[in-house]
Amino acid sequence: MRDLINLLLAILVAVGVGFGLSYYALDRGVIVGARQVGPWVTWPSAGTPTPDPYTRAYLARTPELVLNVAEGIAFTAHTDSAGEPFSGNCTYRLDGSTPQAAFWTLYAINAAGEIITPADRATHLLSTQLVREDDNSAIVRVSAHMAPGNWLEIAPADTFSLVLTLYDAAEFAGLGKTDTIMPEITREACQ
Amino acid sequence: MIRTLLFIIGGVVLGLIIHLIVVLALPLASEENNWTRISELDALNKPQVLEVPSSFSPNPFRLDPTFITAVCRLSLETGPGVVSGILPDTFWSVAVFDSTNRAVYGTTNRSGLGQSLQLGVFNPPQTRLLAQRELEITEGLLIVESNLDDIYVVVRLQMPLPELEKRYHDALAGLTCTNAPMRTTEVPVTPPGGMTENGAPIPFERIAR
Repeated sequence: MRDLINLLLAILVAVGVGFGLSYYALDRGVIVGARQVGPWVTWPSAGTPTPDPYTRAYLARTPELVLNVAEGIAFTAHTDSAGEPFSGNCTYRLDGSTPQAAFWTLYAINAAGEIITPADRATHLLSTQLVREDDNSAIVRVSAHMAPGNWLEIAPADTFSLVLTLYDAAEFAGLGKTDTIMPEITREACQ
Repeated sequence: MIRTLLFIIGGVVLGLIIHLIVVLALPLASEENNWTRISELDALNKPQVLEVPSSFSPNPFRLDPTFITAVCRLSLETGPGVVSGILPDTFWSVAVFDSTNRAVYGTTNRSGLGQSLQLGVFNPPQTRLLAQRELEITEGLLIVESNLDDIYVVVRLQMPLPELEKRYHDALAGLTCTNAPMRTTEVPVTPPGGMTENGAPIPFERIAR
């Protein structure tokens, strides 16, 4: 009887570890295959001819029409730099550098992948259209409420994710440095 | 107690094995992926322009709203795939993926292509014919080799202004995406005891495979 209980326990552990680990690895990609830079996550080998097994499993699940590595690379953030999930009631500030690229785009999506800007508003921000400081840096704010400077307006939402896509990004085409720097995401005021 | 601990350790080891099996089997078992979803579109041998995502509209391919995107599907069984056309003077990129969703090739107009897209996708036997100069191709064609015959091509055009969507849509819809007939040049076997009439090999065309 005791062995039967032990066996059931072992099976429970096996199923929990096996499927739980798989879901965790492929959903957020934090074990193998994905690359995390602060809150930003990407699958660098998704657009290469030889993706690793984890990336192949990710590609089998994702609805995203991934970019070839020569086209660019997309990073997704589900949390701010402190690890807190985004809240539609808060304003977030993005500052810092991005890897070398021809340009980048930034937009916000909900869990279904829909763009969550209000209707008749710009769906995205484009790096080439930003207002910049004297030192060429740019601060971006993401908020449902009016914000100064470069403002990505979002519709009120419980939570959301940010997608930052670098186009013609030499770093990920194997032409540049390997130390990746991505913008910090800081939560400012919440309402 | 030790016996229970051993069972738990055994469960963890078994769990890791299950995890590896899941990761390795998922690409084979997946019934809905980009290839299957693109196969459902009317995109065989013709470009299908995808809807630019807007606020709270479905975005099944998780597209960047800054871009307008076209996909077309090709089978290389009947000949090399050719995607060609003239694109607007904006940032654009083209990528080739096979039916396992592996990236085969990608480039952007910043690599010196300008506005002209001339892409040829060949399978290994066709590439061999190409290397042996037994295959005629258009000059300036970008040559890409795919190990698998079933492929899809994605062309993305960046829209600096939303007002350009209609014009860019038309440019993508006007792309040629088709199989080129395999025009091979072969030297015919010379009949015993003689040459051809003028002593030169006679080129001829045939549809291969």
